[in-house]
Amino acid sequence: MRPILRETRRIIIDLDHELFLDPELEILDKIREEEEKRNIRKVRALSEFSAMYRSNIYEIIKNFIIKFRNKISTIEIKDFIIEHLKESIEALKILQQITNPDQKNFQNTYLYRLVKFIEEIVFPRGFNLQTIYKKLLDKSKDYYECQRHILLTHTFYRDKLKNPDYFIIPSVSPKVYQIINNITSLYNLDPNYGDFPEKTNYEIPMLLTNDVFEPYIDSIANAEEEAVKSIAERIGLRIIDEIFLAPQESFVDILLANNFLREDIQKDGKTRYIPQFSNETLLLYYLAIASIRRGFLSKELVNWISMNFALLIYMGILKWKLSDDNIFYSIFKDLQTNEKILPNLMKLSCFPNYLGMDKMKIRDSVQYRKEIFNFIGSQIDNLKDLINEIALFCEKINKEKK
Amino acid sequence: MSILESKWEELLEAFSEGLEEAIVELKNKNVENIPGARDALLDRLDILRTQFPRNDGELLKRAIDNTIQNAFFPNTSNLAVAFSKILKSRTHEQDFIINELLNGFITSKAKAIASYAQGPIIDRIVEAFANRNDFHIVDHQFYAMFGDPNNPRSYIKKQLQELINLFGLVSKEHIVDRDKRTSEKKVYTFYTFPPGILAILQEKYIIIDKTDNEENRNEIGEDGGEIELGISINKKSEKNNLVYAHISEAFDRNVFISLFLANLAINRKDLEKIGGSFTINGISAIFALILLLSFMPKLTVRVNHPILKDPSFDNDNMSIIPKSWMMRQILESLFEPLIKIVAFRLGGGRWLNNIIDTDINKKIHNQIRFLLKDVNKWILGNLCRVEIPIFVEIANIFTEVTLGLDRDEDT
Repeated sequence: MRPILRETRRIIIDLDHELFLDPELEILDKIREEEEKRNIRKVRALSEFSAMYRSNIYEIIKNFIIKFRNKISTIEIKDFIIEHLKESIEALKILQQITNPDQKNFQNTYLYRLVKFIEEIVFPRGFNLQTIYKKLLDKSKDYYECQRHILLTHTFYRDKLKNPDYFIIPSVSPKVYQIINNITSLYNLDPNYGDFPEKTNYEIPMLLTNDVFEPYIDSIANAEEEAVKSIAERIGLRIIDEIFLAPQESFVDILLANNFLREDIQKDGKTRYIPQFSNETLLLYYLAIASIRRGFLSKELVNWISMNFALLIYMGILKWKLSDDNIFYSIFKDLQTNEKILPNLMKLSCFPNYLGMDKMKIRDSVQYRKEIFNFIGSQIDNLKDLINEIALFCEKINKEKK
Repeated sequence: MSILESKWEELLEAFSEGLEEAIVELKNKNVENIPGARDALLDRLDILRTQFPRNDGELLKRAIDNTIQNAFFPNTSNLAVAFSKILKSRTHEQDFIINELLNGFITSKAKAIASYAQGPIIDRIVEAFANRNDFHIVDHQFYAMFGDPNNPRSYIKKQLQELINLFGLVSKEHIVDRDKRTSEKKVYTFYTFPPGILAILQEKYIIIDKTDNEENRNEIGEDGGEIELGISINKKSEKNNLVYAHISEAFDRNVFISLFLANLAINRKDLEKIGGSFTINGISAIFALILLLSFMPKLTVRVNHPILKDPSFDNDNMSIIPKSWMMRQILESLFEPLIKIVAFRLGGGRWLNNIIDTDINKKIHNQIRFLLKDVNKWILGNLCRVEIPIFVEIANIFTEVTLGLDRDEDT
């Protein structure tokens, strides 16, 4: 992409702006035809992409000239085009040099810095769950919707359904999301209390498993029991006496540390932990578990999370480098461009020093590349806020580099 | 008295009985952790019980017909009008309601209005529209999003057709004499929204760029004009009246979901078309929940209450809901009659007959209370109502009706 933009910029700089007044702008068609003849690429797909890309650039320039030549002077139009081309070239330059192929000094690359910046907000690392949970909670005030978004996939990858591996962490389906919300509500509203197995004289809140799962499951048999157990485990809960759903010992500590449980001394001298959960209490635990066990995420979740990172990085750089009215923005956001750039960024961001997820799970067949479009179409406002934040951070990195 | 009138009276009576049962339950059990919360709720339920049946249930009629329907399920046969009203009611939080109406309440007992796979397809359509500058999607482009565009699988074609019908998109064929790839004749079908819908979208969601040098420019929605197809071949032949349409930042999947909902609203009499009993039960239940949430009193807590210090609590825009309201025993007696009232107002006797009041459904009713989870927030164990426009409007009707009736009594 970058050479084509550079060529175009050179051509426009040399072009007499008076030619922009030609009603049919034939000069641009001629230049394009000439440029197409120079195409010596041998790989068909690449040459098709270049042709499409070049044709889009000239089409955009032509439309821009037609639209504005009666309103502003042609010399100004020329300046605008050159400026927008310059911005686009710079954005591509950053993308091209986003990392070092030899991994030398990788800590100073844009890719590393940006992955770490986003990671800290939506998928932080830490030496234990408590640290990760705390980090997530600290950022949840501004970015809870982003944190939730990276768990709720909109993509579908074919996985083997026979003999599911319960150790693998899947994404949160709409049903599981609803179950998590119901558990939160039931804990806040009407919990039962039972002895805390690991601490005498303490009581923890409990729910009847049936109250939670009955509306979703006709009858609970072995397979359902396993599924219920693994869902519970991912949100910090466990099954006690086969019928109750209660927080795990380690989760109780996290809940206490973050004021999601308060102590209440009963008449019999026992201390009861009263739940005071928020919407994010359980979901952030799920995210923290996913983060600490990032080597065991389902293919769907690995692809989804890396897609989020790739798009945030890509859009952040565009936001930083391109002005909002850049006429070439649509090319960068074109599906064909996305389809080419994002899968590479996804794989790069999965490397051990970056996100550290299993990059072999990134599916890169033609069919699965199309899943990217679900993701892009499902964007939420909160992601746009994060993109703005990333653009500001890019500027900061740039200043540090200078 | 007509059958409809007597049915309405019957429904009001059932709701009144439900309120009485709720009051009894509430008096027997105190789960509140905020002083005065139970009394405030008791007062509110008592006012409801005495005031709502008056003037032939004016309070419920106005709340459902003028407010809820207007915002989310307009009672009209005109798609453009319905769509426009739903779009106008969009806010960040009310978008969650619109989404919830699409998904219904997901249980194993029933399927959602939109199947699990349709959500992502909507995402792709948003992207497809976003990436063209003429506000059209092309069949070829749609197929490309799912595989080989030149050899689409039959289910993809079927899905596209379903979506076209669902959103009422209009089509236009463009024939290319010699396709560059195969050198054969090829037909591309372009789809876009009907002119009435485009005119509405133009207000906020589409940015129109017109070429400047031509006299015979078309404008969308006016005099049957339309956005010109934007493929290059077409531009060569029709470039004299090009109009470019870019989607704005505000254009997202909820625009489609609103259109989906508008389609359901105008086809409410065709039960088969809108998904039958499940849709009716789902929509009525969510609206019943909106009504109940709106009727809840605002609680005042002491100045040093921890919830006021919580960073996620916004005192200007949120209020705490008494815990007792969420008690199963309270809601069970209120939900069923209220769901029936909503169904009756929305779709008359036909909708009412489709409300399932079996024990299985009661189990589902218990889940309804946990819906709208993204609208309201749990903060320190208390459910906080975010004062979104729909709640405020209904609460205002409540105040207006009760005050008006008090005044009538005084005179």
